[in-house]
Amino acid sequence: MVTSRAKHKWGMVVDLDRCNGCQACVVACQAENNLPINDKNAFLQSRAYEWIRIERYWEGEYPNVRARFIPVLCQHCENAPCEPVCPVFATYHSAEGLNVQLYNRCVGTRYCINNCPYQVRFFNYWHPNWPERLENQLNPDVTVRTRGITEKCTFCIQRLRRAELQVERRGGGTLNNETLKSGNYMPSCVQACPTNALMFGDQQDEQSPIKPYFDDVNKHNIHHEHERETRGYRLLEEMNTKPNLIYLKKVDKNPVKGGQHG
Amino acid sequence: MRPSANIIPLALVGLVVTGIVGFIVVVLFISWFSNPPFGLGNAPAQPIDFPHTVHAGSPAEGGVGIACEFCHRNVTEGAAATVPAVEQCLFCHQQVNPENLVADASHDGHGHNDLAGDLAEMQRVVDKFNDNDPIDWERVHRLPDHVRFVHEAHLRFLTQGEPRTVSLPIGDGQPMQLPVPVGQACSVCHGDVASMEEVQPQPGQSLKMGTCVDCHRELNAPTDCTICHK
Repeated sequence: MVTSRAKHKWGMVVDLDRCNGCQACVVACQAENNLPINDKNAFLQSRAYEWIRIERYWEGEYPNVRARFIPVLCQHCENAPCEPVCPVFATYHSAEGLNVQLYNRCVGTRYCINNCPYQVRFFNYWHPNWPERLENQLNPDVTVRTRGITEKCTFCIQRLRRAELQVERRGGGTLNNETLKSGNYMPSCVQACPTNALMFGDQQDEQSPIKPYFDDVNKHNIHHEHERETRGYRLLEEMNTKPNLIYLKKVDKNPVKGGQHG
Repeated sequence: MRPSANIIPLALVGLVVTGIVGFIVVVLFISWFSNPPFGLGNAPAQPIDFPHTVHAGSPAEGGVGIACEFCHRNVTEGAAATVPAVEQCLFCHQQVNPENLVADASHDGHGHNDLAGDLAEMQRVVDKFNDNDPIDWERVHRLPDHVRFVHEAHLRFLTQGEPRTVSLPIGDGQPMQLPVPVGQACSVCHGDVASMEEVQPQPGQSLKMGTCVDCHRELNAPTDCTICHK
């Protein structure tokens, strides 16, 4: 009757070999999660934000230059540095392995933002504004965050809840890879990715496409990185935050020497 | 300066401060423990006098016994119960309207004495339909924007599954035999709407978070924050 939730441990795999930096995920996220429009003023004050951003790195010297892209979103760390510093428990780790932000508990201390090594938490410095017509496209399943609270990627938990409801409607059972697919559940960035660089699934589910990567990376920790069979790695792995996100290294046959961020 | 010189103004200031603080404490106390605070929000005035007693009340008591889910059609299929469109009122009121009925003192229509008044209200519904105008019903049960409540899932729990007895910490708290028909399931949180002239939140059925969590704990339903908060 009631969908069993206890066993899930959601995770995402980002294949950098497939990412071409098109930013479709950024736009999809913005539309799904009621993110305000980043206008020029927001950029000038360095207060523009996206829950998922494409970081761009340049490699090599002109004219032999290459761009590298890394999509960075909330890593949903198992040892999340943002969680213990919140004085009001507005952020906590759910049983499903998600790092959850509760907007109505948040009082805006910004401790979590300062403690996040990935810079994926954002503060609402202003009340969000949309052009008048765009207000009609706001997602009713997502709260519109007011001024003075912190927000971040939720792995589109509203879609997850909807998928659970669909499974229940069809006669109950567990949310696994099969029902996820049939319910068409995935975070909006995963759905929008044209090259399938983003993969989403349950780490506990044998059928899940992400499971082999998580198994491999969990088996060989940072000190045995060279023993890994897949290209998997985690961002800032040496900090032991244990993210539920895994990146797959880009395979580059002819690497260019010298890189820079920009 | 003798200590007694300023005692009266000081006492006055003390009294005023105590009064103000005491007043605030009393207001907070009452608004926390009464639902809704001071009776505010009870039975808001509706644009058209809609007696649930007549529409949903049992035929024995002078109603016509329409099921809840006939008008609130989405209640078993989605998050919101939904208020019907004016077209749906016209299912019946295309016939049941002043054109076909005459205010007759001998026929007092479903135990109401003021048939002329009822006919006037019916005419307003028909007028709304003819003008392509929606009826701006006032919301009675209001949840905050950051709460997700899905009627469908709750009705599925109450109206389906194998027979079982549960005691819900809402309403009278008596043990309940499940499954129940949809109409009874609605009453668990909304009270016996079929017997209300004006719908209003019932005592003991406050739709505060505490009530939700009590029930979820009692029935081993998930209590993760993100189940309800979005």
